[in-house]
Formats: sequence, C-alpha cells, structure tokens
Amino acid sequence: MLTIKLAFRNLFRNTRRTILTVMLIALSLTALIAVDGVMRGMLTLLVDNVTGTLSGDAQVHRVGYRENLDVDLFMENSGSIEQTLQQDTSLRSFSPRVISGAMISSTYNVAAGILYGIDAEREQANSKVKAAVMRGEYLSGGDNELLIGHSLADLLETDLGDRIVLTLSEATTGELAQALFRISGILDFGVRELDDNFVFINIASARKTLAMTDQQTHEFVLTFLNPEDAENPEHGIFQQFNNTEIEALSWLDLNKEISFIIELMAYSSLMIGAVLFLLASLGVINSIFMSIYERIYEFGVIKAIGTRPSEIVRLILWEALLLALISCVIGMLLGFAVGSWTATNGLGGLGEIEFSGITLGNNILGEFHISQFTTFPFFAVLLTLAAALYPARFAAKIVPSEALQRSL
Amino acid sequence: MTAVISTFEVCRYFGDDQETMVKAVDRVSIEIERGEFTAIVGPSGSGKTTLLHLLGGLDNPTSGSVELSGANIADMSGATLSDFRRDHIGFIFQAYNLIPVFSAEENIEYIMLLQGVDASERKRRVADMLQQIGLEGLGNRRPNKLSGGQQQRVAIARAMVSHPQIILADEPTANLDSKNGIALLDLMKELNQQSKMTFVFSTHDEKIMSRASRLIHMHDGEIELDELR
Ligand SMILES: Nc1ncnc2c1ncn2[C@@H]1O[C@H](COP(=O)(O)OP(=O)(O)OP(=O)(O)O)[C@@H](O)[C@H]1O
Ligand SMILES: [Mg+2]
Repeated sequence: MLTIKLAFRNLFRNTRRTILTVMLIALSLTALIAVDGVMRGMLTLLVDNVTGTLSGDAQVHRVGYRENLDVDLFMENSGSIEQTLQQDTSLRSFSPRVISGAMISSTYNVAAGILYGIDAEREQANSKVKAAVMRGEYLSGGDNELLIGHSLADLLETDLGDRIVLTLSEATTGELAQALFRISGILDFGVRELDDNFVFINIASARKTLAMTDQQTHEFVLTFLNPEDAENPEHGIFQQFNNTEIEALSWLDLNKEISFIIELMAYSSLMIGAVLFLLASLGVINSIFMSIYERIYEFGVIKAIGTRPSEIVRLILWEALLLALISCVIGMLLGFAVGSWTATNGLGGLGEIEFSGITLGNNILGEFHISQFTTFPFFAVLLTLAAALYPARFAAKIVPSEALQRSL
Repeated sequence: MTAVISTFEVCRYFGDDQETMVKAVDRVSIEIERGEFTAIVGPSGSGKTTLLHLLGGLDNPTSGSVELSGANIADMSGATLSDFRRDHIGFIFQAYNLIPVFSAEENIEYIMLLQGVDASERKRRVADMLQQIGLEGLGNRRPNKLSGGQQQRVAIARAMVSHPQIILADEPTANLDSKNGIALLDLMKELNQQSKMTFVFSTHDEKIMSRASRLIHMHDGEIELDELR
C-alpha cells in the first residue's frame, strides 16, 4: 500500500513532466482509436460495395464455373439446392442467376458484354441492381426488358426504349441464338467494370434464350444475416457445398484482390499502432529516466536503509502503471470524443474516393469497435510498463555509497 | 561485553592504478561494543564516511572483513544485503534523509513496512518514536514543513524504529547550527542511555565529539588514536 501511495505521490512531484508524459501516451491512444475507427469505416464501405453491389456475401456454383464462366457449366438441380439453402437459418436471402457472355448490338454499335438473367423480385434482397437504376424502370418480369450499364449504353449510342439484340451461344447445344430486347432502365453502379460491361434481363427470358430449363442455374447469390459468417470458412454453407459437383465461395474467395487489400489495411492499422506506441515508449523511457536522475540521492537513501532492488523496480513499475492508467482513461475519453465525431460527421470533403475501381462515395464514417477500448489500452499499459523496465533496472542498480556522495 | 560489530584489517582503496590509488580506509581493525556512543573524528578526507559505509554494508571492502552478528557483511550482496541492512543497521545521513513525498509518520513507518511489521504494531511504534523525539503532533507534516533539526530527529526515529543492532550516523549535525546540533546529539545520547542503542557517528565538531564516550581518530584512512573517555 505504501508503495502505491509513494508511487502515486512521486508521479505528482514534477506535475508538468507527468502531464506531458500522460498526454503523450493518451494522445497516441486517441490517434490509434481514431485511425482504427476510420480504417474500419473504410473497410465496411469497401466490403459493402463489393458484396452489396452484385457479388453478395457468397455464391454457389457448379465446380469450375468461376474459372472461365463457361455457359455449359450450370447446376442441374437448382430445386434441391434451393431447398438446402431455404433450410439454412443463417441466410437472410438468396437468389438464382443465369449468366452468359453476349454480343450486345444496337443500331449503331456492337460490344462484348456480360448478360445476367436475374429473378427481378428476389434479386433486390441480394444486390444493388434495382438501386442502380438511374433512369427508366427496374425489371418487372416482362419478356424483353433489359437493363444496361450507362457507359455501355453510351458506347452503343442507345437510350431508354431503344432496341438491343443479344447474340449468344445456347448453353446446352452451343448453337448461336439471338433475341431482341428494349432498354427499360439505365444503370449506374459506380463500379466501372459493371457500368462498362453488364446487361440484366429477367431470368425466364435468359433461360429461354440460352435454351435452359427452369431447373438449370449458373449461380446462387447468398446474403447472410450476419455478414461475418461469410468470412468463416467453417460455416455450414461452405461445408455443405464443398463437393466435386457444387461449391460455395465467400466474397473473400471471389475477390482475392479485395481480401488482400483488407489484410493490407489491417496491417497498416497495426503498423501505425506500432510506430505510435514505439515513439510514445521512447518518450516514456526518457521521462522515467529523468525522474530517476532527479532522485538518485533519494534512491541511495532508501536503498541504504534496506529497500531491496526488486522493491525499487516495483516502485518504478507502479509509477509507470499509474501513469499508464491515467493516460488510458484520458486517451479513451478523447478517443471516444474523436471517434464519435468521425462516426457522425465522417471524413467528408475528401472528394470521391475510388478504391481499386470502386467508388466509395465521398464520406467515410468512423466506426467504434470494442477492441479500441480493450486491446488498445491494454497494449498501451503493457508497453508503458515495458518501457519502464529499463529505467527501473537502472534505479535498482544504484549503489548507495556512490549515490550518497552526490550533492553533499 | 560483546562486540556488535568488528572489522579485521578492512581496506577500501579507490582506483586501480598504484600511483593514483586512494587508500580511503587502510587496514582498520576495530570492535564496537553494545551500547557504545562512539565518534569517528578526523580531518576531511581522512576516511570517516568510507569507514561508516563499510561498517553498514553500503560499500564493499577491497580486503578484510566486517562482521556483524556473526555474519561477514563483505560476503553479502543483492536482496540478502538489503534485508541485512534493513534488519540490523540504522542509518542517519548528513541531510535529505527523508522521502519528501511522505509525512514524518510515513517516513518512520516505511522501514517497518519493508520488514513486514503489522499495522497496529507500526502505528504503536510510530507514536512511541514521535514522542521520544519530541515531535508529537507533527507526524503528518512533510519534511519540507519541518526544520532541519526536526528532519534529523525524524531520521533518528526511522533508524531506531526497526530495532537495529547499531545506528551509523555520518555527520548528522553538519547541516545544523550549533545549538540544534548539540540538541540533536543530546537526543541521541539520551536514546543511547535509555535503550542501550549502539551509536557510531562521525563529526568534525569539537563540541559534538565531546559528548562521545569513545573517540576514534582517523588520518589518511588509518586509525591514529582510539580513546575511551
Ligand atoms: N567513490 C570514490 N572514488 C574515489 N575516491 C573516493 C571515493 N569516495 C571517497 N574517496 C576518497 O577517499 C578518501 C576518504 O573519503 P571520505 O569521504 O571517507 O572522507 P571523510 O573523512 O568522510 O571526509 P569528509 O570529512 O570530507 O566527509 C578521500 O580522499 C576521498 O576523495
Ligand atoms: Mg564524510
């Protein structure tokens, strides 16, 4: 008890230095909480864009389909797959798709693109196709309705109501087939790849054009109730559809480059944390050394009268611990304040943020996470104690007969 | 009478080089008996502080032995030596003896805390010591609110309270005016007579040394004269 009391009072002997050291640790923690919050916000935005736009949290395909998007690699028994998916309680929704490469021709031009046949009703819960309609109408189930990316429409010099001819090869026979559509809606996803290449029609028309039965499907797009399930390869869906015929892939598998970016962001958070705390630690070491140098005579006296070296170490560590605890409380309060601000106001004013071909909008909202107020301060305390260890050992080694010679 | 502390040909040399080596203490053999009130006197640089540090285990002899309670202090180190000093030796230095952020009471209590004395006993002994040094009512003052003489009294109390075998005091009065210095020494003498506590102190001051019952005169690290009075 007296050690803690002594440590506490020693802390306030040189109030200015203590306040400076406290601010150093506290502000490092604040900065880390703020940076982590923004990183998380950015990640959420990125993941939402990736999964929410078209690819969903996960997808089910015929094995090998993803490699070349071969139109003849479809799933035969979509009815039974639908049943299995229906029974999974962790899924919020899912929707079937028929996909094919296509020649897309207007009266003026022609382009290669990708055709998605979607279930107009069910697709809405799994992607942003409906939300991306910038002009015209979303699909209603009609036979020759077609939605087209706005850049592709520009390229083809067409507009709402214009005719589009799709030329493609039938899935089963490989014969060429053609069908006529009218543009019912123009899409703007904010994702260049989609706006440049994609057209959407009703799944029934797509099956008809491709000569597929209504049991034949290329893809099911899945949305989980808890999006984090998609990141867990042990999850039931991924175990269930993991055979030679059918596979389930999470958005992480489907977007290797994005999952790499996410890892990179996690590392950069870690690096920023490491650098911040390294710098703070140097400051702490310096400040504790200064406080010890000022007290060398005093340490000489208390060692002389029988304080063990280990008890001196303990005293210095207590001083560091109290310093760290005070700093963490302040750092967390400031971190909460800054975090709350970025969570409500966001980091706007940065202009449009584009990340690997995806427009993230122009406002990143910070996010809180429990680790910012548990793991981060825990490491701040741990590092402060580690930083104090070296000066503490120095103090423990002070030789009384030499220390007492000073200033006398 | 039994010796509390005895040295045999103890030496403390500073420096490695034969030419410049300082023999701060040179082949000193002394015995201090229980209840003595001894002064180590001599000119500046004669080795008084060094000898006291050797007696108290604050410094390691170059050669020779220092025995206290049958143990050779020269052989100890680390926590063992710390504990030995804590339990067997009381120290009073010239000035700044006290922990500035602790009150007088807490300064006296500190060493008992290191010893693991329980709370009620600590409280009792602190009160007892404050009364003996005549500072009742001033126990909760911090050192900077006490006069130099009062601070040295608290240092005496802290040295006594752990019940050591011997109290070593290096020029305890040097920072006091002569009136306060003599008062402090009279207090030490009184405690010596009341409780048979053994005191060894160093001094330059004629008036102070006149209070001692034994005078050890040092010169250039050697004992020049050892007189009982
Ligand atoms: N750590 C040291 N390193 C080198 N020389 C030292 C050291 N400590 C003491 N000395 C030398 O040893 C000699 C004895 O010093 P000491 O301090 O014991 O004398 P003293 O009698 O206490 O003197 P004073 O009356 O000035 O306090 C001196 O010459 C001093 O310079
Ligand atoms: Mg001296």
